[in-house]
Amino acid sequence: MLSKNNEYDVIIIGGGATGAGTARDCAMRGLKTLIVERLDFTAGATGRNHGLLHSGARYASTDKESAEECIKENMILRRIASHCVDETDGLFITLPEDDLNFQKSFVEACLQSGIKADIIDPKEALLLEPSVNPELIGAVRVPDGSIDPFRLTISNIVDAQRHGADVLTYHELTDFIFDGTSIVGVKLHDKAGNRTVEYRSKVTINAGGIWGYKIAKMAGATVNMMPSKGSLLIMGHRINNMVINRCRKPADADILVPGDTVCVIGTTSTKVPHEEVDLIRPTADEVDILLREGEKLAPALAYTRILRAYSGVRPLVASDDDPSGRSISRGIVCLDHETRDGISGFITITGGKLITYRLMAEWATDLACKKLGVNAKCQTADICLPGSEKHKDDNAPHTTAYKAAESRHGSLTNKITTGDNYSDSLICECEGVSVGEVNYAINELHVHNMINLRRRTRVGMGTCQGELCSCRAAGLLANSHGCSQRAKEDLASFLNERWKGIAPIAWGESLSEAQFTSWIYEGVCGLSLTNNEDIQ
Amino acid sequence: MDKKIALNISTSNFEQCLKCTICTVYCPVSAVNPDYPGPKQAGPDNERMRLKNADFYDKSLKHCLNCKRCEVACPSNVKIGDIIQAARIKYSTDKPKLRDMILANTDIVGTMASTFAPIVNTVVGMKPVKMIMDKTLAIDHHRTFPKYSSQRFESWYKKQAADQDKFDKHISYFHGCYVNYNFPKLGKDLVKILNAIGYGVHLLEKEKCCGVALISNGLIDQAKRQALLNTESIRKSVKEQGRTVLGTSSTCIFTLRDEYHHLLDIDNEDIKDGIELATRFIFRLIDSEDVKLAFRDDYKARIAYHTPCHMEKLGWAIYSTSLMRMIPGVQLTMLDSQCCGIAGTYGFKKENYEVSQKIGETIFKQIETLQPDFVATDCETCKWQIEMSTSVEVQNPISIIADALDVEKTMKLNKVNL
Amino acid sequence: MRFDTIIIGGGLAGLVAGIKLTSEGQKCAIISSGQSALHFFSGSFDLLGYNGTNEIDNPIEAIAGLDAKHPYAKLGASTVAALANEAKDFFASMGVRLNGDASANHYRISPTGELRKTWLTLDKHFACDSLESLSLGKTLILNIDGFLDFHPHFLSDGLKRQGVDCHVASVTIDELQRLRTSPTEMRSANIAKVLHKDDAIVRLTEKIAEKSQGFDTVILPSVFGIYDSLMENYLVERLKCNVKLVSTFPPSAPGIRLQMALKQRFQNLGGVYMLGDMVTNGHFEGNRLMDIHTANHKDIPFEADNFIIATGSFFSHGLQAHLNSICEPIFNLDVTASGERQQWFDQNVFETQPYMSFGVVTDSNLHPQIEGQSVENLYAVGSLLESANCLKEASGAGVSILTALKAANNILKR
Repeated sequence: MLSKNNEYDVIIIGGGATGAGTARDCAMRGLKTLIVERLDFTAGATGRNHGLLHSGARYASTDKESAEECIKENMILRRIASHCVDETDGLFITLPEDDLNFQKSFVEACLQSGIKADIIDPKEALLLEPSVNPELIGAVRVPDGSIDPFRLTISNIVDAQRHGADVLTYHELTDFIFDGTSIVGVKLHDKAGNRTVEYRSKVTINAGGIWGYKIAKMAGATVNMMPSKGSLLIMGHRINNMVINRCRKPADADILVPGDTVCVIGTTSTKVPHEEVDLIRPTADEVDILLREGEKLAPALAYTRILRAYSGVRPLVASDDDPSGRSISRGIVCLDHETRDGISGFITITGGKLITYRLMAEWATDLACKKLGVNAKCQTADICLPGSEKHKDDNAPHTTAYKAAESRHGSLTNKITTGDNYSDSLICECEGVSVGEVNYAINELHVHNMINLRRRTRVGMGTCQGELCSCRAAGLLANSHGCSQRAKEDLASFLNERWKGIAPIAWGESLSEAQFTSWIYEGVCGLSLTNNEDIQ
Repeated sequence: MDKKIALNISTSNFEQCLKCTICTVYCPVSAVNPDYPGPKQAGPDNERMRLKNADFYDKSLKHCLNCKRCEVACPSNVKIGDIIQAARIKYSTDKPKLRDMILANTDIVGTMASTFAPIVNTVVGMKPVKMIMDKTLAIDHHRTFPKYSSQRFESWYKKQAADQDKFDKHISYFHGCYVNYNFPKLGKDLVKILNAIGYGVHLLEKEKCCGVALISNGLIDQAKRQALLNTESIRKSVKEQGRTVLGTSSTCIFTLRDEYHHLLDIDNEDIKDGIELATRFIFRLIDSEDVKLAFRDDYKARIAYHTPCHMEKLGWAIYSTSLMRMIPGVQLTMLDSQCCGIAGTYGFKKENYEVSQKIGETIFKQIETLQPDFVATDCETCKWQIEMSTSVEVQNPISIIADALDVEKTMKLNKVNL
Repeated sequence: MRFDTIIIGGGLAGLVAGIKLTSEGQKCAIISSGQSALHFFSGSFDLLGYNGTNEIDNPIEAIAGLDAKHPYAKLGASTVAALANEAKDFFASMGVRLNGDASANHYRISPTGELRKTWLTLDKHFACDSLESLSLGKTLILNIDGFLDFHPHFLSDGLKRQGVDCHVASVTIDELQRLRTSPTEMRSANIAKVLHKDDAIVRLTEKIAEKSQGFDTVILPSVFGIYDSLMENYLVERLKCNVKLVSTFPPSAPGIRLQMALKQRFQNLGGVYMLGDMVTNGHFEGNRLMDIHTANHKDIPFEADNFIIATGSFFSHGLQAHLNSICEPIFNLDVTASGERQQWFDQNVFETQPYMSFGVVTDSNLHPQIEGQSVENLYAVGSLLESANCLKEASGAGVSILTALKAANNILKR
C-alpha cells in the first residue's frame, strides 16, 4: 500500500526503462520511493524502439563516450537481465554501394572504445547468418544483441517493489508542489478515479523521456530537447538470428534486429514539434523507405509478411552550452536543477539510450542520494533482476506454453499456475500465452487493461494481432476486475490500438487478416467503440 | 518495387495463415486425440516459434496423419500438412523402431514375403503369430496383413513385355509395392484397358517403393535415395522416351509428384506433369475424343466411392468417378469425403489402432447403411482399412473399368489391330 | 471437361447459385479454393440492417436510399423483395429452418450480448423483435466448462443492461473434459464432434437439465452439431425450459453445418464440388469466357456456357490488395478502389473503412467488366461486388444469396 502520509524520499516521474531503473536503484539504496507514470510502463520511447542491445559499435566513430558506455552496459545487462537479453551478436555489413574503407576506420574506432570487432569473410558471414544480403563485400562481427524493453522495465519495477517502492500507473503529473523555490511534491491526476492526489517528496526526478521537456517546463526549467521521430516495421517472423547493421554512417532503415518471434527493421528519423509527440503515426513514405532499405540488409524482408508499423520519439538533448540546439549528444544528460536553475529538490535524467538506462538511473540516484545525504553504494550492476536469477526446473512441463512463458519470464515462470487444464489452455495461440500466464500478469504485473497485458505477455503481438486472442483475454480481465462492460470497452479500444499499427501496412495478407478481424468483432459480435477517449 | 513486396505475402508459406481456424474443423485427428495439437498449432503457429528456437518442436506432431485435409480446407493456400511434415523431418530426433522399419520397407519385406507367399500368408494370419507381432512389434493384432501374391507383378510382366512393344503408343507404369507383391491383378487390369485402347504398357527402368511410408516413419535418408532413383527413372521415361508415367495408387502418385519436392527437396518440376493417375490419363483421352471405351451390357453394380485423402488433395477424384459413371450398369454414390483413419502404416501401429478406427467410424457407418455391391477407391491402404472395418469389398476404379470393359468392341472402336 | 455453368467460389453465394442451377437441370461444377466465410456464421442472415449507425426496420424500403452502384440498387427494390422470398423458400426446401421477414428486420443477440438488426435467423438461435417482447424470465447462460470461444459474462452483461435476470454457470461431461487436455483444440467444431459420438449428447443434456432447474430460459453456445440438427432438436425436446443458442467465436458450428448441407444438396443434385483447387486463368473469345484452367487440373480445361465468379472479398482472396492497388486476381476484372493506400482506411477501426466497399464493377445484369467491356457469359456475385459495405450495412448474406439467385435466374432465362 502507498505510504501513509503520502511522503517519500524520492518521487520518479516516468515509467520508461530509465524511470523504472531509477526506482529500482533508489529503492535498493534504501530510499522511500514512489514511481508515477501517466499511462502504462513502457508506453513511450522505451516500448517504441528496436530493442537493440547495442554493442556501441554504431557510435564508435562519432561518439567514443557513448560507445564506451554502451559496451559496458551491454556486458552488465547480459549478466543482470539475462531473461530479457538474446545474445545474438551482430554483423556490420558492407554492400557493393558502400565504401569498404569505412570498415577499417570503423573497426579501429570500435577497438579504441573497447568493443570487440572482428572482420570476417563475407562467406563466413553468410554461413553465420544465412538471411544476410549475399552480395555483401565485407562484414564485421560485434557483440550486438537484442533486449526486450517490456520485460526489462517490468522486471525493474518488480524489483523496486520488492525493495519497498510504491508504484502508480495512469497517474498524470498536473503540477508540482513548491515551497519557495524548492519542489516538495507532485499533484497527480488519477485517471481511473478521476481525482487529484498529492504526494510529497524531498527529491523529485524527471525521467519523462521526451515528455521530460514539458515536465521541466512545469517546474520552471528549460531543457533543450529535440523530438526526433523514428518509425519501424515489425516483420511476421524471425528472419535473422543475428543483428544486421550497415557498415557506413548511420542512415535510414539500416538495422534489422531479431527479437522473440519477430524481427524489427528501422528506423527513420524526422524532427517533430513538441506539440505532436503524442500524435505521431508512421507514414506511408516511411513504410516505403523502410522496406526499400531493409531489403538491402536481408532480401527475405521483401517476401515476409509485415505485422505492423510503429513510431517512437527519441529525446535528443542539446547541450547547455549550445543554445542553438545543433550539437546534439546521444550521451546521458543528468541535470541538477538546483545548481543549474535554482530549483532545489529537482533532477532531470534524460538523453542516453535504452541500453544505458541503468547507468542513467545510477547517475540520477547518485545525485538524489547526495541531496538526501545518503551514503549508499549502487548495486544495480551486480544484482540480477527478478527473472534473471539462475534457475532450472527439472519438472518443468514440455508444453509450448511453458517454453514460451519461460522465454518471457525467466525464473519468475514458477509463479505461473500450470498443470491443470484450465490454466494450461492457450489464450494467445500465436505467441503461446496460457490462461495461467495471463492471470499471473493480471495479478502481479500492474495490468489494468488489454494493452498492459499485451506488454507483459505478448498477447495480441503475434500474427493475428489480437483477432483470436483478444476476446479471450478480455474475458479473463472481466472476471478479474469484475466488470464486463469495462472489459468490453477495453477490448474495442485494444482492437483500435492494434489497427493503428496495421493500417500503415495493410495490404496483402495483412489486409485480409484485418478484414477478418473486423468481421468477427464488428460483424458477428457487433462491437463498437463506445468510449472514444483512447486510453493510450 | 518487386512484385512480392507489393503483395505483403510471404514465400514463407506459413505466414499466409490468417488464423481463421478452418483447418481445425477438418483435421480428422484432433477431435479424437487431444494429444495432437491440431493443424493450426502444429503447423503455422508453432513454425514461428520453431524459427525462434528449435526447442519449440513438439513430439506430438507425430500424431499428424499427413492426410492434407487441412490444406484442402485452408482458404489461404497454407501448406499446413507440408509444414508439419517438414518440421518432423527437420527437428525430430526420435529413432525409428524395428517395427517402423519393417512397416516402412514395403518393398524389402514384400520381396521376402512374396517369395514365400503361401507360408507367410498362413503364418501372419495365425492368431498366435498376430499376438506375438502385437506384443513384440506393437503391430495391432486386429490388423489383417495384406495377403502376398506368389507371383509378383514384375515376374508376370516379363512374359508380356515383348507384346507391349507392338503398340503405336506407349506409357510407363509405376506399379508400386502393392500391385507388385500383394495384388498383381490391378496391374494386369490396367494393361488390359490400355492395350484395348492402343497403348503399350512398360515398366520403368528401375522402380523402388515411392517411399511414403519411409517418410512418415522418419527414414528420410533412405526415402531420399529411393526418391532420387525413381525421379531419374521417371525423367528418362518422360523426357527421353516420351512416355507418361501412370500409377494406379493415388498415394504413390501424390508422393512422386508433390511430396518429393515439398518434403524431400527434390526438384522434379520438369517432369511433374508427366506423372499421373491412370484414370486421369484415360479420362483425358476420352474427353478429347481420342479414344472411346465400350462396356459390357451385363455389368451391373452399385458402387460407393471413397475419396482417399491424397486423392482429395490432388483433386482428381472426378476422373475416377467420371470413368465409372460412363459404365451404363453402374450406380455410383459418393461417400462423404473423410479420412478412413488408416493413413498408410499409421493405423497398423498398436498405439494408433483405437484412434485410427475412431477416425473412420462415420465412413464405416455410412458404408454399412448403404450396403453397396462394393466400395471403389484409388488407394490400397484405404482398401485394407475399409475391408477390415466393414463387410463390404473394395475395388480400385481401374479394376472396375477392366471388369466392365468390352475389350473386343473397345479395340474395334479405337482401331487397335494386333 | 464440359459443364453448363461453372461457379468459381464455393461459399454461400456459389452454393446457392449452384443449387438453383442444378435443381433446374443444369450440369454444374463449383471450384473452391478452400472453405468459406460461412465458418464464421453468426446464426443469422443479414439483408440490410443499418444505414450509418441508424437501424433499418424495413430493408426493402431502405433500398431506395442506397448508392446506384450498390448490388441491391442494381437489382431494384421489387426484385430484392421477390428474391428475398425466393431465398426463404429455397432454404425451407432444404430443411434449413429460418425465421424472419425481408420487410421487417428483427434482432439477433451477438456473442458479446449486443442486439443486431437482421433478416433471417436459425430457428433455435436467440432472436427477438425487441427484448421487451420476450419473456425470458429467470435466465441461465450455460457454457461448456473450459470453452474459451464463448463469453457468458459479456453476454450476461449485455442482457442485464436490457433488464434480464441473468445468471452464469458451466457444465461438462467426461469426454469433453478429455478434449480439454489439449490447450487449444477445445473448439466449437471439436466439441460438436465429441458430442456426436455415442450417447454423449444424452448425458450432457441430463447435466444441462440438472443445472437449469428453476430457470425459465437457458442460453447455450451454438456447438450442437456440425453434421445435422439432430442434437439441437434433442436438446430442445428434452429440456423443460426455453432453449436459446448464441453463436460462438470461430469456427461456427451452425455455419459449418450450413456449408455441409448446401454442399451435400448440390452434390445430390448432380453438381460437382471441387475443393482446394484454384482457378489460374481463363480463355476469352470476344466478350465471352470460353474455358478456365485450374492448379489441380492443369492442361485439362473446364468449359461452360456460363460462369459465375463468387470468390469473396479480401479474406477469401477474391480481391487482393497490392502495395498501391487493388485487383481481382483471376481475370483481372475491373475493380473500384480509391487511389492511394492511405485513402483505403480510416484511422479508427470502427469507422467506415473505404476498403470494405471495394469490389468488382458490374453492369445491371451482374456482368463484370474487363477494361470497360462486359463479359456477357460471366456473372459476379456475393461479397466480391463493389459498393456494398457488408459490415457497416449488415448486408453480407443478403448480397450473397440474392445476387446468386439473380445470376442463376438470368442464366436459366437465356
